[in-house]
Amino acid sequence: MADVKEARVPDIGNFDGVPVIEVLVKAGDRVEKDQSLVTLESDKATMEVPAPFAGTVREVKVKVGDEVAEGAVIAMIEADGEAKADQKPAEPIKAEAAKQAPAATSVPARAAEPAKAEPAAKKSSGGAQEVRVPDIGNFDGVPVIEVLVKVGDRVEKDQALLTLESDKATMEVPAPFAGTVKEVKVKVGDEVGKDAVIAVIEADGDAGEATTPAPQAAEPKAEAKAAAPSAASASQSDTKPAENASTSAGGPRTPPVSFDASTIMPDHAPYASPAVRAFARELGVEIGQVQGTGRGGRIQREDVQAWVKHALASGAKPGASGAVATGSGLNLLPWPKVDFAKFGEIEEKPLSRIQKISGANLARNWAMIPHVTQHEDADITELEAFRKKLGEENKDLKVTPLVFQIKAVVAALKKYPTFNASLDVTGEKLTLKKYFHIGIAVDTPDGLVVPVIRDADKKGLLELAAELGELSKKAREKKLGPADMSGGCFSISSLGGIGGTSFTPIVNAPEVAILGVSKAQMKPVWNGKEFAPRLMLPLSLSYDHRVIDGALAARFASFLASQLGDIRRLLL
Amino acid sequence: MPKTIELKVPDLGGSHDVPVIEILVQVGDTITKEQSLVTLESDKATMDVPASDGGKVTQVKVKIGQEVNPGDILAVIEVADTASAESSPGKPAGKEDASPSAPAPAKPATQGVPEQKTDPVQAPVKPSPAPQAAAGTGRKADIECKVVVLGSGPGGYSAAFRSADLGMDTVLVERYETLGGVCLNVGCIPSKALLHAAAVIEEAGAMAAHGITFGAPKIDLDKLRDFKVKVVGKLTGGLASMGKQRKVKVVTGTGMFVSPNEMEVQGKDGTQLIRFEHAIIAAGSQSVKLPSFPWDDERIIDSTGALELRDVPKKLLVVGGGIIGLEMATVYAALGSEVTVVELADQLMPGADLDLVKPLQARIAKRYKGIHLKTKVVEAKATKKGIDVTFEGESIPETKTFDRVLVSVGRSPNGGRIGADKAGVAVSDRGFIAVDRQMRTNVPHIHAIGDLVGQPMLAHKAVHEAHVAAEAIAGEKSFFDARVVPSVAYTDPEIAWVGVTEREAKEKGLKVGVGKFPWAASGRAIGIDRTEGFTKLIFDEETHRIVGAGIVGVHAGDLISELALAIEMGAEASDIAKTIHPHPTLGESVGMAAEVYEGTITDLYIPKKKPSAT
Repeated sequence: MADVKEARVPDIGNFDGVPVIEVLVKAGDRVEKDQSLVTLESDKATMEVPAPFAGTVREVKVKVGDEVAEGAVIAMIEADGEAKADQKPAEPIKAEAAKQAPAATSVPARAAEPAKAEPAAKKSSGGAQEVRVPDIGNFDGVPVIEVLVKVGDRVEKDQALLTLESDKATMEVPAPFAGTVKEVKVKVGDEVGKDAVIAVIEADGDAGEATTPAPQAAEPKAEAKAAAPSAASASQSDTKPAENASTSAGGPRTPPVSFDASTIMPDHAPYASPAVRAFARELGVEIGQVQGTGRGGRIQREDVQAWVKHALASGAKPGASGAVATGSGLNLLPWPKVDFAKFGEIEEKPLSRIQKISGANLARNWAMIPHVTQHEDADITELEAFRKKLGEENKDLKVTPLVFQIKAVVAALKKYPTFNASLDVTGEKLTLKKYFHIGIAVDTPDGLVVPVIRDADKKGLLELAAELGELSKKAREKKLGPADMSGGCFSISSLGGIGGTSFTPIVNAPEVAILGVSKAQMKPVWNGKEFAPRLMLPLSLSYDHRVIDGALAARFASFLASQLGDIRRLLL
Repeated sequence: MPKTIELKVPDLGGSHDVPVIEILVQVGDTITKEQSLVTLESDKATMDVPASDGGKVTQVKVKIGQEVNPGDILAVIEVADTASAESSPGKPAGKEDASPSAPAPAKPATQGVPEQKTDPVQAPVKPSPAPQAAAGTGRKADIECKVVVLGSGPGGYSAAFRSADLGMDTVLVERYETLGGVCLNVGCIPSKALLHAAAVIEEAGAMAAHGITFGAPKIDLDKLRDFKVKVVGKLTGGLASMGKQRKVKVVTGTGMFVSPNEMEVQGKDGTQLIRFEHAIIAAGSQSVKLPSFPWDDERIIDSTGALELRDVPKKLLVVGGGIIGLEMATVYAALGSEVTVVELADQLMPGADLDLVKPLQARIAKRYKGIHLKTKVVEAKATKKGIDVTFEGESIPETKTFDRVLVSVGRSPNGGRIGADKAGVAVSDRGFIAVDRQMRTNVPHIHAIGDLVGQPMLAHKAVHEAHVAAEAIAGEKSFFDARVVPSVAYTDPEIAWVGVTEREAKEKGLKVGVGKFPWAASGRAIGIDRTEGFTKLIFDEETHRIVGAGIVGVHAGDLISELALAIEMGAEASDIAKTIHPHPTLGESVGMAAEVYEGTITDLYIPKKKPSAT
């Protein structure tokens, strides 16, 4: 007896709301196991969802444009003949463990967060809770310079409890809730770190009155953690209160103007002139947060600029509005608006989703990473001869020059581990990797994708060749999953098959370097006695100058060239 | 009883209105500390907001797409320290701290509204609930525009002109035939024309003591009135032509909101319906008409009536010793009236420091019939002979019958007279409209500026607010960030002050120091025989930055601007002292006062005092 089962979206790597861009089957179709049912397009790649079993499609539950997540039912399929008797819906095919989704990495919010309170160690049933030092940004042993409350004090929520002074700044630790101070656990001069208990506060008992209307049907999603940014940000702009929207909504958002000492006295009023205040408004900077470097702490225009620069560099605290395109944030000129149709016939074509997403990433990487590109030529005359021979011996495999380049890069990464690293968001810490996953930039009709070859150090040339072939095939067939494209340490972008003498690739953050390969050409090379024809391969190594200095890059590049010049060295 | 805790949005590093792109918990979930609650996506990064506490989620207060700000409540949890965690899911909890930035839907405006007071310092606030807006009329609009400005006073015309200059299609609604509002037509401007006349009379008379006698002035009231009318005409005519040049459409008639996007203007030739995208309410204020006076008698006048200059009453009673009352008293006294002033408070011009008022009081005490403080009018009866007035208080005037009575006891805002409720705009019971720093009312597309948003009711404040409102509507990031609004009384002598007063410093226990330069030591003041004045500067003792200033003396109003600038710029005493002021001027007294504070003055001898540095 035939069984109707659900075909579901497999684990697609912590993405949610991935749009369906194509439905490949319809009700009544017979499908084979692994036959593609629909095409999904995440911000990394397009991928096809295969049928988990053979059968007849009874119902298609999605349409083009729907956004789906893992576990969503795509279709009801009546399994062939003697399907297994168990009542469970068929197991969705799992994509390879896909946990890292770089685009959606959760960035921890900025250092001085509100204190995190924890229930006290089961004290009274009252509300005595410990107040702890919040995340103060990787500092430890920060001295307490002032204790602002004492036992018995009533504190309001957000009232400062004590002042800490790190080497960067002084900061106040606010009370996470209103209540009465039962115990103060620190004194001036104590050094505290994150989560150190500061005080025990008994929270107000009558905190139970609701003054906000109950929220409207929230849509909690219990599982997924990361999110596809684009869909959400699109809806964000839609939900911005339309100018003429509801008349009773939103009271005034900033306090009304008052004219008294509170706006004038130096201990309240940020030390900034009207023009600087307006400038800060323009950039969306709260002037009170800016540290003035002028005499007596005067906030100058440069201080506001520096604050914004710092905020942009640290990534986690951007200005309120738009990206580079609008010109704000970076304080650039707005994007030029030209009515191209005035000058001739035009056609408009939206960028593909991959183009849009990778474009945003490229723009960020280009803007935030100080790039330098080192050029070097590798003599691959012998390597090419060997490669051709290898190709003849292994007709079923396509042994491309790229395979050798991967090997050479791995050798260089081993010798220069700084290239196998990532800079953290604060720009203060380097993570060195002990594994060698190499990303390969692949051009597809939908845009640029970068599948990753894992553990390239442990694989032989032929194995790499086979895997490379497989990955490119998958890329062309849109079958790359997020797992295939994450975890890279270093990327190679080879345009050698097309042409060019050199180019300046953009580092694929959070990696710190990328190798660009152009077209090899026969060139006369002086060998000490005469010019000999040698096949020279132009290499372009772009690197993050914050992490790698020029000398190191030159060494890396010339090491790479020497590896490619004499592949016997790859054995060393 | 389990404890409930609100989990809030942490500091987002300066980001505002960050959208929630994912909610990771739901009601009923038990969460642990540090577990992610929601994912926010700013334009730079997505971030998970961790729970600051563990417990059972009883409420989720945000939804996907909602924009949140630091401090907004994300969820409410019950701390699992008692077993009753099962009960009452969804029980709301938490004491909302009325975070004004919370974009909670349909949240009533609880923003404070300043109360009216004659005191120019902002009064305590009082909440006023937002009214339910009326539905649109569905009628075809006679005029459609991007911005309508209601009222053409200094605030209104500035808002309209700025809006037009920013490329917005603007309509200006004014109930009177001429633009300019109270200030230009029946306020600041005509009173200054008359005060000029008064000053000339006074100065000419004063020269008799120094050997130049002009004889008694002959006053042709009609001609004087013509002069005043011409002054006003020049300015209002100028406004009309500037409006035309900017293509601001002026609609004459009384404007009332009929819905959040419609205003009806009742004019001479009928009613017009204006449909607008944005509105700027600049409807101003009017004199308070105390009900104890027989207002149907034409001898009872307010400032408008006083400026009409119908006659020079023999006996004039001025009720209210504030700026307006004393300015009109100055005019009428110079023209020959016998002036009596009664003031309820214990000093003239409440709000100004007493020492500033003293030289004025000393001078007018000699010229006026009487100045009576802590005294009020309990009854005023119109009789054939005049207005019979009964007083009550500490100092009862001799005169009981007056030819005219000027009632100048303050102004009340017109917020309640414009159909604001139909637009959903909250108006306090005193007639004020609460706004934010972009002059936005509780209705986001309607702004309000000028007298009806709060004290001080001054034209120069309104003009700045007008620019902010227009720029905010045009999408600019303009905010009203001025810290001080100078006040000037154009009495003789003038009194001007700005920023912190000594009185306020004392009340609030602020640590300030004062540098005071008496004009008796000013060559210029001596040369014009007006040495009663002085200039005083008030400094923060710790930083030596100027926080306030007060000047009394002729032209004090022209001297105060330098100090407003100094306060806004955060100038220190030595910045002012070391700025070379031209000699001999009255303005020089400003530099000298700073030198007094610094202890570097040589134009005075001040015996050694405590060192100025702390």
